[in-house]
Amino acid sequence: MGLLKHLLFWPVTGPKFLIDFSLDKVNGVVRDELTDDTPVKAELLELQMQLELGDIDEAVYLAREAELMRRLREIREWREKLGMGVAGGPVRVARTGRE
Amino acid sequence: MPDPNADVVATSDTPHADEGKYVYCIIKTPEERDFGPIGIGEGGNRVYTVHYGDLAAVVSDTPIRIYDPTRENVLAHELVNETVMREFTVIPMSFGTIFRTKDDIYELLKSTYRAFDDVLEKMRDKIEFGLKVLWDREKVIGRLEAEDEEIRRLKDEITSNAQSSTYFARMQLGRLIEGALENTATGYVMDIHESLKPVAVASRSNKPIGDRMIMNAAYLVERSREHDFDEAVKALSRKYEDTLSFKYTGPWPPYNFVNIKLRLERADG
Repeated sequence: MGLLKHLLFWPVTGPKFLIDFSLDKVNGVVRDELTDDTPVKAELLELQMQLELGDIDEAVYLAREAELMRRLREIREWREKLGMGVAGGPVRVARTGRE
Repeated sequence: MPDPNADVVATSDTPHADEGKYVYCIIKTPEERDFGPIGIGEGGNRVYTVHYGDLAAVVSDTPIRIYDPTRENVLAHELVNETVMREFTVIPMSFGTIFRTKDDIYELLKSTYRAFDDVLEKMRDKIEFGLKVLWDREKVIGRLEAEDEEIRRLKDEITSNAQSSTYFARMQLGRLIEGALENTATGYVMDIHESLKPVAVASRSNKPIGDRMIMNAAYLVERSREHDFDEAVKALSRKYEDTLSFKYTGPWPPYNFVNIKLRLERADG
């Protein structure tokens, strides 16, 4: 019966298995992209440098900074949704695992 | 005198539910201090000390919130540290660190007392300077093409046989120039570093920002040698005035030389 079931349903289960598999992979990549703030922070440093060097003016800086802050907030939200650690917000000395 | 607002405060279950303490840095002083209305945020909150023994956290009241690391906010954080630094050796806290209550801060100071005390002693009378060195890449390439025998030969070859010059020859030229640029940059950085080492206590090199920067370093300097360090940087910028530009900042609190791993967790409600 097991074999028969597979044969009968292969057109459905086969592709579905493949789709699940690739979705998992995509999830991994997208997830990293959604939750990693290092590229945004690097862009912020570069933007500040450009302002300091006079390559861009204050108005351009502020507009691009606002965009980067928006991305940082999005990343923070994703991290929260996925139960990962986030910087910022209230903290206290860790109570778990102390003597 | 009766306070007209007393009722409101008294009947509220959690009168300071959304009030927290933004922590800027840790200093050593038994004396309570007020650094004025220079706190982060819109209100211009008073910056003051919260004590545990002879250690103190420099804080201001703030709503519980996440501060975006905008230039404005980061500068506000730095302004407080700069102000405190004029009188004290400081251990700077990370941008955006907020505790809910004074008790949470006592707990921080108490549980990390040894490490704070130890690092404050090590950092006593030391300040940090930042040095970023930038170059004009095109200008350096121009000079390399004029001076480097092999590069010049290959370049002449390519330009004189524009038709037949191969992709391979161009690739090779590109690689030669890249290599020469890297060697030149390393040479500059080493020379600069060797000149500053004798007047500094320690140094740290960070990743350069953008493609014009060849050096992004922090130096820890004794306060008493600040002048010597200044002079050394000035001498270097004169030496390289045609080629390099120096961005010299500070004094900073020792951001790059203090690394205390605080065991903190989120305090939601």
